[in-house]
Amino acid sequence: MTVTARNLAAVGRFGARLYWRDKVTLSTSVSLSLGLGIGLPLLMDRVRPGHPEVVLTQHLGVLAMILTIATFSQIAVTLTTRRDQLILKRMRAAGLTGRDILGGEIANLVVQTTLLACAVSVALYALTGLRAPRDPLLYLVFVVAGSAVLCLLGAAVTALIPRAEVAPVITMPFFLLAGVGAGGFGPLVELLPGWVGSVLDLLPTAAIVEAARVAYAADGTLAGDLRAAAVPALTLAVWAAVALLAIRRRFRWETRTP
Amino acid sequence: MTAIHVDGLRKSYGDFAAVRGLSFEVAEGEIFALLGRNGAGKTTTMEVLAGFQAPDEGTVRVLGLDPVRDRGALRARTGIMLQEAGFFPDLTVAQTVDAWRDFVSAARPRDEALELAGLGGRAGTRVRQLSGGEKRRLDLALALLSRPDLLFLDEPTTGMDPEARRNTWEVIRDLAGRGTTVLLTTHYLEEAQRLASGVVIMDRGVAVAGGGMAEILAARAGRVAFELPGSVAPGDLPVPVTVLEGRTAVCRVPDPDLAAQTLLSWAGERGLRLRGLQVRTATLEDLFLDLAERENATEVA
Repeated sequence: MTVTARNLAAVGRFGARLYWRDKVTLSTSVSLSLGLGIGLPLLMDRVRPGHPEVVLTQHLGVLAMILTIATFSQIAVTLTTRRDQLILKRMRAAGLTGRDILGGEIANLVVQTTLLACAVSVALYALTGLRAPRDPLLYLVFVVAGSAVLCLLGAAVTALIPRAEVAPVITMPFFLLAGVGAGGFGPLVELLPGWVGSVLDLLPTAAIVEAARVAYAADGTLAGDLRAAAVPALTLAVWAAVALLAIRRRFRWETRTP
Repeated sequence: MTAIHVDGLRKSYGDFAAVRGLSFEVAEGEIFALLGRNGAGKTTTMEVLAGFQAPDEGTVRVLGLDPVRDRGALRARTGIMLQEAGFFPDLTVAQTVDAWRDFVSAARPRDEALELAGLGGRAGTRVRQLSGGEKRRLDLALALLSRPDLLFLDEPTTGMDPEARRNTWEVIRDLAGRGTTVLLTTHYLEEAQRLASGVVIMDRGVAVAGGGMAEILAARAGRVAFELPGSVAPGDLPVPVTVLEGRTAVCRVPDPDLAAQTLLSWAGERGLRLRGLQVRTATLEDLFLDLAERENATEVA
């Protein structure tokens, strides 16, 4: 199979057009992400004014949750719906390869999710005491890379989803785990046995949050940032490899095998 | 030159053997029909030829390419009208075609594709508002976008009204006239007979008949049917009656014209009229019925 940039761009553009005209997507991925992403840290800022570190903790916790909604869950819903409606089959019949289709869909969601994360972040810089990250490039790179890995995982999980209607239910536990692990629901991890926290730290969302925390840290150097980002990058790479292997072996383009 | 070459194709799904040793060839520019009942293996064969499924055994070459290994190159030269495939219901016909034009290189202009498929007046209609037949025509328009050398048409006119069906036949004939090879499956035997110059009839994964349409039909018995006069017993007739359907006598004969002349002369000499006389050469339907009868006889034995 060959991936052509033209086909990837075509699928991505088409996915973007459908994304912004789909009411369900707008009410879940977009509205929920903006509501949670801005609302909870803003609330924390009002409850504990003058404590930007509390706002940052809440911001990063919620960031893990909205990335999960906008990428992992969203792509699972999108791909299972298109699989069930036999639209993936029609796209393949048009000459698009599997990589073109998955690559284009993932590229679209990475762009939309990065825009959402940027909108949330900028809103918090404007409305709360939170300051922009010291290393914005590191923050951006991990939002983009993390979104891509979460999309790959969401695509891999579709093999376990029998019907599109149950996709949100099946992806919900991952959203909860990501939220608990990253502190989006508050310091719940501290109430749980230590090994639970250690396991949750292995999640891809934990890697994104860890790198983002480095990017937001008041002090640091480029070399130090790169060293600190190495482990999160490795975590994301391992998850990406797992997802790609699962997609290669298990991804279904149709609802049934004749 | 050969557009499709299939030799000893086998394809199974678990324990179920969908295709068992199928072989046939389709020439460039030919319209070729794959016929058979549901579950005969037609769609599996088409999906293997289109590169959706890999064969378990056998050789398959389409436009000289391996459908699995050279899938990208092959798809660029083929148009596929699937039996089952979805659309985005909230997009209009024009938006759907525009989106698909982005997916193929050097695509036909949207209006040209819609006109060819007979959907010129429906560009602004949402897909969810199209009838079943119109959706098939949209499917055809999408298959034609890449100006394909080879068209796979899986049940192309299912759900169409008679006029739309005839228009679609015209489009298919016209494309074949310009050199496009067409492989079609259909439930409509009349459609296959009118369009195709070659045919394979499949049953349970194997070819039970095949070859040139004209040769196949010429080798079958024709049919003469008429209302048996009240005073005549079937045994009195100069041509043996194959079956009596109520008062309608049906004679299956190699030369139906000669049989009709014999019967009319015989009736004229006796002052009888053969009401409702029908004379026709063999059709695909006769062939299908023959095959079904043969199969039933085998099962009984």
